[in-house]
Amino acid sequence: MRVLLVEDATGLGEAVQEQITEDGHAVDWVQSLGYAETSVRTTTYDLVLLDLMLPDGHGIDFLEKLRQTGSTTPVIILTARDQVSDRIKGLNAGADDYLVKPFDLTELSARIAAVARRYRGNPNPVVSVGDLEVNLNDHHIVRNGHPIELTSREWALLEAFIQHPGRLLSRPQLEDRLYEFGAEIESNTIEVYISRLRKKLGRGVIATVRGMGYRLNSYES
Amino acid sequence: MKARHSLQRTLSLGLTVGVTLLWLMGVTASAMVAQHEMNEVFDSALQETAQRILPLAVTDILSREAGTGQKRAPAMGDHEEYLTYLVRDASGKILLQSHDTDISVFDARPRQGFFDTDTHRIYGESAVSDTLFIEVAEPLAHRREAAFEAGLALLLPLLVLIPVSLIGVWWAVRCSLRRVVVFRETLESRGSADLSPIAVERLPAEFEPIAASINRLLERLRRALEAERSFTANSAHELRTPLATALAKVQRLKTELSEKTSLQKASEIEESLHNLARLSQKLLELAKAEGGGVLSEEEHDLVPILETIIGDYERLNPGRIDAQLPNTEVTSLLNPDAFAILIRNLIENALKHGGKGGAVEIRLSADGTVSVKNHGDIVAPSDMALLRNRFVRAETNALGSGLGLAIAEAIVSGAGIRLGLHSPARGWQDGFEAELNVVIKR
Repeated sequence: MRVLLVEDATGLGEAVQEQITEDGHAVDWVQSLGYAETSVRTTTYDLVLLDLMLPDGHGIDFLEKLRQTGSTTPVIILTARDQVSDRIKGLNAGADDYLVKPFDLTELSARIAAVARRYRGNPNPVVSVGDLEVNLNDHHIVRNGHPIELTSREWALLEAFIQHPGRLLSRPQLEDRLYEFGAEIESNTIEVYISRLRKKLGRGVIATVRGMGYRLNSYES
Repeated sequence: MKARHSLQRTLSLGLTVGVTLLWLMGVTASAMVAQHEMNEVFDSALQETAQRILPLAVTDILSREAGTGQKRAPAMGDHEEYLTYLVRDASGKILLQSHDTDISVFDARPRQGFFDTDTHRIYGESAVSDTLFIEVAEPLAHRREAAFEAGLALLLPLLVLIPVSLIGVWWAVRCSLRRVVVFRETLESRGSADLSPIAVERLPAEFEPIAASINRLLERLRRALEAERSFTANSAHELRTPLATALAKVQRLKTELSEKTSLQKASEIEESLHNLARLSQKLLELAKAEGGGVLSEEEHDLVPILETIIGDYERLNPGRIDAQLPNTEVTSLLNPDAFAILIRNLIENALKHGGKGGAVEIRLSADGTVSVKNHGDIVAPSDMALLRNRFVRAETNALGSGLGLAIAEAIVSGAGIRLGLHSPARGWQDGFEAELNVVIKR
């Protein structure tokens, strides 16, 4: 997934970015609402992690503006405000979840996965792709009882296909999912990862649409 | 307090008693003046009568043959005599008397001028070179009756005027103090959370400075409370972010460590950061609970708040929460955040002490009674009383700050409600129950 992290505390931002990157997501980390607004205008995100008390304003205002533009991107609020009334205010403004600081990074990962699943419309963390059983929670893949290991980049690519079942994804779209702003991308990176995935999961899992992009075959939930 | 020093009572009573006393003094003075004047008139009449009768008596006696003795003036028709007279010579021999004359009233020898006996006022006058004396007597009772009747005439109107003035004074005082009473009732009726200024229009000028002072005081109190609350909220924020950073950094560090002892140390740091986070959260909750503000100015439905909190604990402790909430609204003036802190502490307490895996039963009835029950060992009665104190824990191995029930206690006492603690839980053989009614109305 492509995740936007809005957090002004440098140490916390670093740790969260590391954690989500390790989970296989591409993270853009900004430290102010101004940068966050620019980011959501120029990039399509699958999820926003939003701190509330930012140097140039309140996260809730940003969230309300985002919802007014019609965006349905899931938003998880990360905040030091622990009052129930703040939380209800946040959820009413359109947040999908609310995490109070200090939180465990593993809980953050779990919440991100849960919100993504709800957003996809299937709360079941286990989906079937052909003869594969994919557990979206713990990134566990099994074929005929045999586990398959994926690197985080390979996993991120597979997750992108699972989140958009049957849809054609272009190379730039896939690059967006894998890399944050400023990352160096080799011209054939996507091809390399697709071929690795095909080797591990089976040739028929991902179909190539010549000149257009790629599509996941035989997906069912 | 109210009965002892009612301004309205003191003013009404004081004014009425004062007016009545002044009135009585006035009447007494008038009566004395009137009596003095009447005496002068009566005396003058007495003197005049004596001087009128004397020449007639002298003529009468001298034209009489000498030595015929006493003679009684004939009565002209039957009538009561107010004035009686006696004409005597210097030796006291009676020469003439009016027909009703009681001789015992007079002295043995005639006297001149005004003088009083026990029962009569007498005036004596002489003629013919002090050989004939006339004395006219008037009963004092007659004068007393006249004075009494005059006094009565002055007093009678008071019988009507005193009650009328009592009512008038009471009414006037009541009218002028009505705004003050309204002001007092406004002060009395407002809840402790209401610190908005009080309306002071049409208050008597004497009370306006008091009202203005109260309003200034309320405003200062409100600002102080707001500052304290915002300080609490801000310090929560300021504390939480560095804690979150440290915790996240340690958790990231753990993923990079492979050596067992280093991993162990990192885990210990992580654990103490968790403890620090818990303790700072509890201290902030306690500060918030004791800083007041546990009541709102308007009512809130507490059911969705309880649902949210229960949802959190269900996610963290799957299968351990058994909740039943009403389908109706349960509205209360209890501040939603204070209610959330209160309930969180009760649930955490129950989860902590409920033994491993034991279910926690949460009930909210439509009338606002909340009960949180957990199974576990019975708490001794001697320990029950100590539970509400700070940093006190029941005999347990469970982790905890020992502040949970103290925070709950601070919130309920701030809200003016009661937290009931029972062990064993009511209806059970064991366990612990916290129970309270969260409905607070204006």
